[in-house]
Amino acid sequence: MALNQEELLRSPAVWQPRSIEEAIGMKEEWGSAAVYTAGSTLLRTQWEAGTAAMPRHLIDLGSIASLSGIREEEGAIAIGPMTTLTDCRSSGLLAEHAPLLVDAVRNIAGWSVRNLATLGGNVVYRVGDAVPALIALNAKLEWHDGSRLLFESAEEWASSSYAVPRLLTSIRIPCEEDDPTSNTKRFFAFHKVGRREAFTPSLVTVAIQGEAEEDGTLTKLRIAAGGGQTTPVRMTRAEELLLGAKPDGAGLQQAFEAVLEQYEPRTDPFATDLYRKRTAANLVVAALWSQSPSNASKG
Amino acid sequence: MLNRASSGSRWRERPDGRGKVTGELAYLTDRYAEGSLIGRILRSPHPFARIKSIDTEAAKAVPGVLAVLTHEDVPGVNRFGIVIQDQPVLCEDVVRYVGDAVAAVAAETDEAAERALGLIRVEYEVYETISSPEEALRPDGRKLHPDGNVLKHIQYSKGDVEEAFGRCAHIVEQTYKTPRQMHVYMETEGGLFVPEPDGRLTVYSPTQHGLKDRVQIANILAVPEENIRVLSSPIGGSFGGKDELNVQPYGALLAQRTGRPVRIHNSRAESVRAGIKRHPMTIRMKTGIDSAGRILAHKVSVLADTGAYATLGGEVLTNALENSLGCYVYENLEIEGKSVFTNNGVSGEFRGFGANQAIFALEGQMDRLAELSGIDPWKLRGINLRKENDPGAYGQEIYPTDGARQVWRAVLASSLKQEESRNRQDVIPDKPWIKTGYGSAIAMMGTGLGKGIPDPGGGRISLAPDGQIEVAFSYEEFGQGLLAALELMLIEHFGLFEEDLRLVIGDTDRVPESGSSTAARTTTMMWLALGKLVPEFKGKLFDAARERARLPSGQLTLGQGGIRLEDGTPVCTFAELAASGEPIVCEMSTAFPESPNGDFANRFLFVQAGTAVRVEVNELTGRVRLLDQYHAVAGGPVANPQGFLGQIEGASGMALGFTLTENAVMKDGRYAFGNLDAYLIPTIVDQSKSMRVEAIEEVPEGDPYGPRGIGEIGSVTLAPAIAQAIWNATGVRVSELPVDPALLQKSPQYLQEAVQPK
Repeated sequence: MALNQEELLRSPAVWQPRSIEEAIGMKEEWGSAAVYTAGSTLLRTQWEAGTAAMPRHLIDLGSIASLSGIREEEGAIAIGPMTTLTDCRSSGLLAEHAPLLVDAVRNIAGWSVRNLATLGGNVVYRVGDAVPALIALNAKLEWHDGSRLLFESAEEWASSSYAVPRLLTSIRIPCEEDDPTSNTKRFFAFHKVGRREAFTPSLVTVAIQGEAEEDGTLTKLRIAAGGGQTTPVRMTRAEELLLGAKPDGAGLQQAFEAVLEQYEPRTDPFATDLYRKRTAANLVVAALWSQSPSNASKG
Repeated sequence: MLNRASSGSRWRERPDGRGKVTGELAYLTDRYAEGSLIGRILRSPHPFARIKSIDTEAAKAVPGVLAVLTHEDVPGVNRFGIVIQDQPVLCEDVVRYVGDAVAAVAAETDEAAERALGLIRVEYEVYETISSPEEALRPDGRKLHPDGNVLKHIQYSKGDVEEAFGRCAHIVEQTYKTPRQMHVYMETEGGLFVPEPDGRLTVYSPTQHGLKDRVQIANILAVPEENIRVLSSPIGGSFGGKDELNVQPYGALLAQRTGRPVRIHNSRAESVRAGIKRHPMTIRMKTGIDSAGRILAHKVSVLADTGAYATLGGEVLTNALENSLGCYVYENLEIEGKSVFTNNGVSGEFRGFGANQAIFALEGQMDRLAELSGIDPWKLRGINLRKENDPGAYGQEIYPTDGARQVWRAVLASSLKQEESRNRQDVIPDKPWIKTGYGSAIAMMGTGLGKGIPDPGGGRISLAPDGQIEVAFSYEEFGQGLLAALELMLIEHFGLFEEDLRLVIGDTDRVPESGSSTAARTTTMMWLALGKLVPEFKGKLFDAARERARLPSGQLTLGQGGIRLEDGTPVCTFAELAASGEPIVCEMSTAFPESPNGDFANRFLFVQAGTAVRVEVNELTGRVRLLDQYHAVAGGPVANPQGFLGQIEGASGMALGFTLTENAVMKDGRYAFGNLDAYLIPTIVDQSKSMRVEAIEEVPEGDPYGPRGIGEIGSVTLAPAIAQAIWNATGVRVSELPVDPALLQKSPQYLQEAVQPK
């Protein structure tokens, strides 16, 4: 059907800049009348729900080649923010160096959404399920503000609030070379709990990455928890309790209580605070219990 | 087991299968007409309010707006409802829920319609929302309707329960609560409304009973019924949700007013807001057994939240009460139920029709009594099962059925039940927080509308001018597989050939009254009608063939494409026969079989189901997964194996949502969600990886009723079976649905124990 004049005037203009600089220039010119778009899957649901208005200008980042792809560079895996979740899920590089992120991505939305949605979009959403995984992986984000590059950790990003127009240009996950003389073992866990088994909004999302000595002593540990509209944060108190220790029953109980205390979920009509807290704490403790040598062997 | 392999050549591709799977099939809401207008409805923003004034002047002045209608513009009856017409088409003075329609707009574009809606000024005096049946029953509460807030109150008793409780060895008293479930059909409500040059109005809009819609629309428009033609199939799902009128009155009024085609199609958000839901029920039961396990006394009290208008709320309550007795025999009974008006949307018809709620409670009682008495739960059911010639729940005469015993035995013999007796709890050593358990449940459900409710049936078979044999019913195809079942029945039981058939449904100009496609009644009704029609039709064909070929009296047979002699020699083709003489038509009307006695809405013809499940509970998260399920269904001869299996699988999927994920949460009369990103139906990942269905086809000798309707029974036994499995896994009793994971969550003491060296 042909659009009439009025409809044409009300439809947003879609711009397809060819470079990062051009994209940022557009955003600077139009300000809040323009929105960057990646896969547009989240924006679409916000427009439909009426929680965001359709802007006058959509700046589609899909034509900027440098924003896509997964590469190994300088001791890190660099992921272009426009890389789709499906491409992240099927990436051999990520499967090898950051299986935690692959697990996270697999749990986001459904197939058709993951084919369009991008990792960058999920990061910029801030409460996306990839963010706890990126925090646990100690990922760095690279931004461009029009004149220079800015760097911050995924953890800093999650807890910050920014207003300056800037564009996410790269997501970097450090690759640590395995030390052949070391007996430490790396472990990770990702859990997303929703109200059904797939294609579900998250109630609680937990991501853990760590290393343990052969005897179970934890030498490295990063725990992040988010879910729903809860901004993902590190569970630093539990980390402090556990680092350098071989967690036993009492230790795990303390860690459980530390997560219960530190994790502050945002509620909605579908689950209580207490349920979310207990779920996060249970999942953290169970993951640590599972990696302990005496329990892992039971399988 | 019923599956593709066991069905052999009876496993057939559905006539509507390919179009639906590929998406090629156009639904009625996909239709456009040249010059069609957009219809939109202004709905109440308040759950309960008095309308002080409505001003449509500014809206009418919007360019591109052709009509803005209020209650003053309804030429006929400003009410609708399948049984009780109490719902205003356009509200005059009071709005009773957030979906209540206040005005309707027809415009050239979406934007003009949207702007007009925004410019309609309605002044309200907001009333306090009545957001629960308990509030509605307060004596000082505001009345939603002139006769008060009780839509229906039913009481029935037999013997003396109080005296009998005194003699019981074990008594369980428990309150059960069930959710407001949404149908979630893929195709939301909508339609195209076309004024024809001859002055008639054609309505292309999904419904479960086109002729009923025709009556209601004619009354609203104040035109003769014959002036309306309703085309109503194919339908992108209904499950009871499109039986009542939804957008049809507005489309029809706007088309009548503007003289132009009007198209309305609800967004999902509007469908959530305006559409009917399953009745949330609070069911209190007190049940007592003697030391041998026999039920001496059973007391039931049901409180149903029927929302703002009647629709089929009274009938749902009736069926819930009948099902609160299941397939057991009771010495003493006292049952009582109220369906109560509130400002919580509108509750109405939904697959299972009140049985889902009642069976969850009743089977919960049996499992709790088993625990208390130490009798095996399945054995306890066996002790109390009705026998083949026992009367119905209310003492009414019913058609003899041993289905309850048959499905009970089948479940007992099932591999899941065997597995349960061997292996009560699996433990996974490296995941001690995963607990598994088994549960099972049984139900018996009436088909048809019930004693005293008009339940017409009938059909027509005719030879069309082009030589096709047309078989016409007023039923609808909303995905349940009606066409496939009808086709197979005609081929297998009545000896017709697929190539010669044309099935006609869903068009009020072309079908006779066969009643509504509801209450698991259509399969039986088609069988009964065809049993009379086909022999009569064949006789007429043979007479005409003999006359045409000047044959003496003698045996003829029906072959593909035409009539033959007994030895197979062709006599004439159907096309030749159609061209040669008088039209050949057979039509009949009948009614669904009902009990000769009994006093209210009780059923006569029953189906039964028994279900066994295995579930897994994750105590870290409290989440429940259904791992395996088995269903035995006694529904008479299987009309169409693929359709039968599809019905049980689909119904079980809906029941899984009812049990674990679905609840149309409302707060103060408003939905807490607007779309399917927050209202969660199960996906394929939530379904059990294994599911077996066994059809028990045995019926009493000389049975005249043929295949029974099994479209609903598959949705009623899963919830109690899962609840029992959860108890077996965790020791926690669930009495409220959907299951709250928080109840099943354990704190991590066991991790401590498990981590200690043993």
